[in-house]
Amino acid sequence: MELLLPNLGTLFWTALTFVLLLLILKKTAWKPILDMLEEREQKIKESLEKADAAQKETEEALAKNQETMEQAKKEVQELLSKSRRLAEATKEEIVQKAEEEASKIVSKAKKDIALEREKAIEDLKSQAAELSIMIASKIIGKSLSADDHKEIIESSLKNMVEAN
Amino acid sequence: MVSALFNFVQDHGGGEESHGEALGADFIMHHINDHVLWEWHPFGFDLSITKHVFMMWIASAILILLFSTIFRKPKMIPSGLANFFEFIIAYLQDEVMKPYLGKDSRKYAPYLLTAFFFVLLCNLLGLVPGSATATGDISVTTGLALLTFLMVQGAGIKKNGVVGYFKGLIPPGLPVFILPIMIPVEFVGLFTKHIALAIRLFANMVAGHVVIFALLMIIFTFKSWAVGGITLAGLLFVSLLEILIALIQAYIFSILSSVFISMAVHQDH
Repeated sequence: MELLLPNLGTLFWTALTFVLLLLILKKTAWKPILDMLEEREQKIKESLEKADAAQKETEEALAKNQETMEQAKKEVQELLSKSRRLAEATKEEIVQKAEEEASKIVSKAKKDIALEREKAIEDLKSQAAELSIMIASKIIGKSLSADDHKEIIESSLKNMVEAN
Repeated sequence: MVSALFNFVQDHGGGEESHGEALGADFIMHHINDHVLWEWHPFGFDLSITKHVFMMWIASAILILLFSTIFRKPKMIPSGLANFFEFIIAYLQDEVMKPYLGKDSRKYAPYLLTAFFFVLLCNLLGLVPGSATATGDISVTTGLALLTFLMVQGAGIKKNGVVGYFKGLIPPGLPVFILPIMIPVEFVGLFTKHIALAIRLFANMVAGHVVIFALLMIIFTFKSWAVGGITLAGLLFVSLLEILIALIQAYIFSILSSVFISMAVHQDH
């Protein structure tokens, strides 16, 4: 039975020892370590949050980059097709213009040729008249008056032209 | 332990078969009971320093030296011993304090941590040959349970006020005619759980040691190599079991203290 009865002296020493131990450890060990555990927990939490935020930011930046890239591609494509169309149009215009110019030149040349021909014919007409007068006077040996000549030549020419 | 046993057997005239049984019981009780190392009776009180008190001082000295050294300037990234003990402290915080005390756990952590490590070290030191188990002494466990009792009442009164705390001990909404029964029941209940706390720790530690010393006595009673060999295996097993029990009882003492404090603080559940 002695085993089950608390001895007050030992009980007193137990309480005193424990309270002193508690006070000493609280100051020298528990406070610093509990503070540190709390601080560490806080820091880990913050670091995780920061890492999460950084990842989100990176993902956002990546998405933005991709978007920009796609837009740039689209723009380049657009620009390319636009310039191609422009080049096509310019080419067509130039060709058309060249064709027009060419046809203009040709028609002008034709006109000039026609005019020259007319002129040549006119020249030929007048020279032929003089020549024929000369020949005729030489053959006939007598000269006719200028008015006679003209009349004869014009009528013969008219005949010639009509015959032509 | 063995040399002590030899001395004891010689002192008590061992070897006579007729006294074997009584001798065994004496031997066991001799190692369970406390012994006065230094008599001191100031003002008529018996404040003698006994072996168990001395063991508590050794445990306290070890705890102060160890924890003051490794925890004085804790590092953000711990290493070595500090890492090991920080893991234990974090475990106790997560398993013993936070589930019951929640936000208040920081306030009661020093008490619960001290209780855990003190009880654990006293338990473990008791396994060292030639030492004594302070926590296998009802006076010591009563002292510890008394401190938990005071902690619990203090926590309850601090949180709910003197009147509120004692009113909250009785579940609200009871019919008046039950009160004459409930008031004494709750009043007794206030103490019984703490008495149980003291007896649980004491009985667990004593039981293990009784088994160890009984097995030792078997060797010297039979004086046979065969029996000695088998008993030795049993001793080894029980000693390992004792290490486990030392841990479990320290854990139980601190978790129950935490639960009792939590019950006094949160009286509504």
